[in-house]
Amino acid sequence: MALTIRDLSKTYPNGVKALKNLTLSIGNSMFGLVGPNGAGKSSLMRTVATLQDPDSGSITLDGIDVLRQKDEVRRILGYLPQEFGVYPKISALDMLHHLAVMKGMTSSAGRKETVDALLQQTNLWEVRKKALATFSGGMKQRFGIAQALLGNPRLIIVDEPTAGLDPAERNRFLNLLSSLGSDRTVILSTHIVDDVRQLCPRMAIIASGELLLEGAPNDTIAALNGKIWSKVVATDDELRALEKEFHVISTHLVGGQHEVRVYAEASPGNGFRSVDSGLEDVYFLNLSQQSRQQLPN
Amino acid sequence: MALFWEFFTFELKFRFKSLSTYVYFLLWLIFSFLCVASESFGPIGSGNGKILLNSAFANTLDNILAGVFGMIVIAAIFGTSILRDFQRDTYQILFTQPISKFAYLGGRWAGSFLTTVFAFSGMMLGTFLGTFAPWADHTRIAPNHLWIYLQPFLSILVIQIFFLGSVFFAVGALSRKIFIVYLQGVALFVIYLIFITVFSATRSLEHFWSGIFDPIGVVLFNGITRYWTVIEKNTLFFSWSPVLFNGVFLYNRLLWIGVGALSLVSVWALFPMSVEALTARSQGRRAAKAKEQEVADALPVRSVVTARLPRIQQAFTRATTFAQYVSLTRLRLRNIFRDLPFWAIVALLIAFGIASGRLAGHVAEQNVWPVTYLMVQAVEGSALLFLFIVAALYAAELLWRERDAHFDGIHDALPMRESTDWLSRLTAIVIVEFILLAVVMLIGIVMQTSAGYYHYEVLQYFKELYLVTFPQVLTFILLALFVQTVVSNKFVGHAIVIGVFILMPILYSFGWENTLYLIGQVPAYTYSDMNGYGHFVPALFWSIAYWLAISAVLGVASIVLARRGAEDSLRARGRQALRLAPRLAPVAIVFALIAAGAGSWYFYNAHVLNEYLDSKARRDIQADYERNFKQYENLLQPKVTAVDAEINIYPDRRSFDGNIRITLQNKTGQPIPQIHLTDPMRSVTNVKFDRAVHLVSSAPRNIYSIYALDQPLAPGETITLTCDIGHQTRGFRDGNELPEFAYNGTFFDSDYTPYIGYNRNLELDDPRRRREEHLPLLEEMAHRGDPAHSVNNIFPLDSDWITYHTVVSTSPDQIAIAPGYLQREWQANGRRFFEYSMGSTHILDFFSYISARYQIRKETYHGQNGDVALEVDYDPAHTYDVDDMLASSRAGLDYYQRVYSPYQFSQYRIFEFPRYRGFAQSFPNTVPYSEAIGFIERVVKPTDIDFTYFATAHELGHQWWAHQLIGADVEGSNMLAESLAEYSALQVMARKYGRDLMHRYLRHELDGYLQGRSGEIRHEPPLALVQREQYVWYQKGGQILYTLADYIGEDKLNLALHNFLMQYRYANANNQVDARDNTSTSAPIDGPYPDTRMLVDAIRAQTPPELQYLVDDGFNRIVLYDNQAISATSQKTPDGKYKVTLEVQARKVQADGSGAETRVPLADYIEIGVFSGKKDEEKPLYLKKEKFTEEHRTFEILVDQAPTLAGIDPYNKLIDRNADDNMIDVTKQ
Repeated sequence: MALTIRDLSKTYPNGVKALKNLTLSIGNSMFGLVGPNGAGKSSLMRTVATLQDPDSGSITLDGIDVLRQKDEVRRILGYLPQEFGVYPKISALDMLHHLAVMKGMTSSAGRKETVDALLQQTNLWEVRKKALATFSGGMKQRFGIAQALLGNPRLIIVDEPTAGLDPAERNRFLNLLSSLGSDRTVILSTHIVDDVRQLCPRMAIIASGELLLEGAPNDTIAALNGKIWSKVVATDDELRALEKEFHVISTHLVGGQHEVRVYAEASPGNGFRSVDSGLEDVYFLNLSQQSRQQLPN
Repeated sequence: MALFWEFFTFELKFRFKSLSTYVYFLLWLIFSFLCVASESFGPIGSGNGKILLNSAFANTLDNILAGVFGMIVIAAIFGTSILRDFQRDTYQILFTQPISKFAYLGGRWAGSFLTTVFAFSGMMLGTFLGTFAPWADHTRIAPNHLWIYLQPFLSILVIQIFFLGSVFFAVGALSRKIFIVYLQGVALFVIYLIFITVFSATRSLEHFWSGIFDPIGVVLFNGITRYWTVIEKNTLFFSWSPVLFNGVFLYNRLLWIGVGALSLVSVWALFPMSVEALTARSQGRRAAKAKEQEVADALPVRSVVTARLPRIQQAFTRATTFAQYVSLTRLRLRNIFRDLPFWAIVALLIAFGIASGRLAGHVAEQNVWPVTYLMVQAVEGSALLFLFIVAALYAAELLWRERDAHFDGIHDALPMRESTDWLSRLTAIVIVEFILLAVVMLIGIVMQTSAGYYHYEVLQYFKELYLVTFPQVLTFILLALFVQTVVSNKFVGHAIVIGVFILMPILYSFGWENTLYLIGQVPAYTYSDMNGYGHFVPALFWSIAYWLAISAVLGVASIVLARRGAEDSLRARGRQALRLAPRLAPVAIVFALIAAGAGSWYFYNAHVLNEYLDSKARRDIQADYERNFKQYENLLQPKVTAVDAEINIYPDRRSFDGNIRITLQNKTGQPIPQIHLTDPMRSVTNVKFDRAVHLVSSAPRNIYSIYALDQPLAPGETITLTCDIGHQTRGFRDGNELPEFAYNGTFFDSDYTPYIGYNRNLELDDPRRRREEHLPLLEEMAHRGDPAHSVNNIFPLDSDWITYHTVVSTSPDQIAIAPGYLQREWQANGRRFFEYSMGSTHILDFFSYISARYQIRKETYHGQNGDVALEVDYDPAHTYDVDDMLASSRAGLDYYQRVYSPYQFSQYRIFEFPRYRGFAQSFPNTVPYSEAIGFIERVVKPTDIDFTYFATAHELGHQWWAHQLIGADVEGSNMLAESLAEYSALQVMARKYGRDLMHRYLRHELDGYLQGRSGEIRHEPPLALVQREQYVWYQKGGQILYTLADYIGEDKLNLALHNFLMQYRYANANNQVDARDNTSTSAPIDGPYPDTRMLVDAIRAQTPPELQYLVDDGFNRIVLYDNQAISATSQKTPDGKYKVTLEVQARKVQADGSGAETRVPLADYIEIGVFSGKKDEEKPLYLKKEKFTEEHRTFEILVDQAPTLAGIDPYNKLIDRNADDNMIDVTKQ
């Protein structure tokens, strides 16, 4: 099972270039897609989910031309959009049965078995007869994953599934995702970098429609080992000075003071201390490198 | 105050930056512009051609109509002004500021008010601009004065805006729900429309309270202007005076201003100015929800380790596609059924179905059996609007639902075909419509049952609702689905769909009448119990097939262009279309072929087999006829004196053929060199004369031919014309099917035989249409005594009295009828033949042929002048009124023979014909009687008017008044037939139902007369000079004569009529040669026919001197009274009696033909009376005609019982424009 995305470009009618010659190969595992808002994550995922067409480029999934054989893709697709609403006054049970029929589960016994299992799995069994409209954000999101898993899809696309969830919900949700097994392609987009580190054997960072990095999270973190330096500064003036002098990749507020993280091959000295690199550093480094490239020239 | 100003100006700025404000303004501008600039548009323009298009009257009506349709606009502006803050959540910011309620609400309200007034002021500007349109009819445009625009605008629209706006504002501010705000305008509009329909169906004569409580003004307007004459319509304003119109207008305006003010007060009192209060309700709900979630979230979390999901076989086969379709449809239906609007629609549907079903077929105070066609008409009529609203509404809702619910991301990525998805949407709407139609049918059946009618024709309901109406609704659904697919905004889509719906009748009224381009239309059709859907079926079938196939093509286009996925752009949809096209193109092609086929077949039938004539083309033919041949109107022609015809009717082909032999005699004193023939129905061929002639000219469509006689026809000489006549029905027409020919119920008359000379009755008579055709004003009828016209009779102008013989055949299962006594009946060649002859009895040249399957009821009337065979031939289902018709015939024969003269025939027969035409017509001893007017009547309550009894007596009366005495072709003569038949019937009816009950009937007659003169398009003549004015010769004539009989005595009047009849009947009947060559003794030169002068003289001779004024007023003038009871009190006297003090007022005016009135002095006898008893069943205690010479009089009257009611002219014997105020309740002292 492999998804090959080649030279994908998309410009929206309002002039926004959502995807710029994006090429990406996604294997048979959980694949994390990170990037800031507006990076083109959702555009990419909608394109793979057959909901929009690129201007150019191709996508193939095990020999299926995703852009043309949409129906074949849809049959093996489980899709959880970034935001979705529900019909008022329809229960989770009814809705899942309906969607199961839509996904080709015509035998009612089999359908019942699957739907019940999913309701159990997503911990919605007790509320299965309640109207979806009364669900909390977390419950709705679990319903979303339940519907995406209907029919054992071989391609699962989940777009920002943890946005708006409280930490407990988020953990539960990530557990659920990780239990999906490894014999399928799962694309998870998020801007929470930690999600990816916890879940995904492979990941990609995209920004402004371009691929910045692709690889295994641990490898990319390892590549930065010893190159990330941290310093705590108290005032904005100091911060400004540091920004001019070093390659600042991120700042965090710690107890009202700025903790500045800097990328450098060797110690920048001056009170900097070496810190363990994290996936977040990889992420911010790539983003800042991209914006540096774009700025001066 | 500064803050108020802040909000006010903000609202104004916001509104005047918004395009919609200008769109509304333009909308009203165009509407009112067209009302003046086009005579095919608007209520005034397309109506009576003498009413000024920019009069205050016209502007008032246009303003009221703008108010009806403008409700939605008013709701949109006022309702949203408050809602805006809640939709955009700015209220959180706003209400934490220190602003006063007055500033906030007042500013928003005032801004909305001014904006709306501006938007509607387009009405004034549009009308004003319309008066300058060069193509407008400038004879109908009054000089411009500001006040004729401003007064109606201020008293109608500004107040409507204030009242409705304030109500909508209050509802919007207090509910703060967009759903309610948008729907309230539509809901009120629909409710009002249905209220109007139901109210006008009752034809109530109540105009006071119904006027005051009318919130929009249609009923109010009708109540006030009901009897306005042309001159009043062109000069009067809707005055706010408490005296004029009984103050109805004033009270109405005050009432609704009050309601508006009350709404403002209540919104001011109830609107909470704090965020907390404004969100309290939703906060409560939110809290409840949060609690529920806590409970749900606190449920034990199951281990997530690995519960492997079962591997279920997925299959994508045809069966799956079907299962998807079913599941989608079920889901969508569930969404609809679990929503309040659906049930609100059903509830409204039931309410209005019951309201209109209760009145099914009721006219005035006549009660009818709610036969299925009437019931379907009633319940379907009230439901139709709902069916279309549901179609438009749900088409949009279902197409946008996934998007509106943000479920489209999941939905659109499901493995289903676009066609499956689309078909399920269509199916859901179709099922909803099916359910609504079933509800309609159920209401109909329930209402029939509740009316005690148990003859359920479920099949007819089914046909009408599901086979005729549903396809039209379906076309509309498909159109709406298509529009909503193509446009990217739901509301724009609604506007387009509603626009198409409204545009069709407008196009039709502009003369675009072709079914093939009027979207979704079917040609007019009528169901008849006698004939079912009959010959309308093919045209209906093919037009429905045509439009359904076209909409199916649109349906395929909607699938191909369906929104799927994240992109909405044309390019994205184009790509999808290209992808889907190969699979769906064949379907589209099949439907396109069906559309082309059905359309071609329709076109072939309506335009090739039949000549296609729209109404303008038909008027052109009439105009050309008049232009080219009116010059021959007074050309001397021989008269028809005998007719012998052989007619073969082919009911199954809706055709007939045959030949006719017409004897013509020169009854002038001069030789006649040419014979002219008019053939309006293109039914005459193969014209031959029994002497040498040659054709001089023949007009297109064979409408007029001139034959020159080689030897002129000498005075007294006869000539025989023979020709073939016939009518071939070919295929079907685009509407305008000839009503004469039906599979069951053929009925045509002498229109299909050649007419000698120029036929004036074919002229266009609507002044508006005459102007359009550049014809001069319609020629007035000749004055009484005009020598040329007096020798012709008014009915068939080309004939004197004829003798008549005919043989008529029809298919073996039907009976064929013509005037005359049946000589023999036989079968030959699989056809049934009947021979009828009038023998030597003279009849008017007016005969008809009828053929149908009949049930026959015969009885013999034994009278003083011998037996008369009575016969009613009726549809087997219509047994209700046969006895009533026979009873009326017996009573009429009794009365007429006693007071007028012996009946000239020995049979009197009534034949039912299909309701394509709704009249009864008196041919010699033969009365074709429409199934619509007499055969389903029922008399249950004592107050139900027995119209069948009346109409039967009226038609019988014509056997004297027309078939014995016919007037000359001069003004007034129509009343000799119609008013006298009407009077005769009133007397026969009074003998059965009593004088008290007649009052109810006469009130409707009076109403009919006053309304008739209000709609007069030329000028109203006095009764004795009546020309074409039906309201004068029926309603006024009947009333004048009935009252005269009451005043001078029934015997006296009848004696006058008897004398008149005996002196003048059968004029010119005995100076001619008839079919059997019986020469008469007198010289064959026509003398004059009688006219109204002789009638008036005969009546005068029997009228005492002090009542002679009644004869003058009744016949020679237009006189109206304004009688009114001012006060009535009663006092018990010591001897147990009651002394009533009654103060009354009497006024009398004379009107000219345009309705301009002048007061005339009184020297009149007017009845005053005192009554007692239950309401509406009062019995007179005292009744006396008093002579009035002054306006006010007070009477003291002693009566035996406690009086309840007293007044002047209690029975409305005199013509009074305000008949409601004649009586007053007696107050005790």
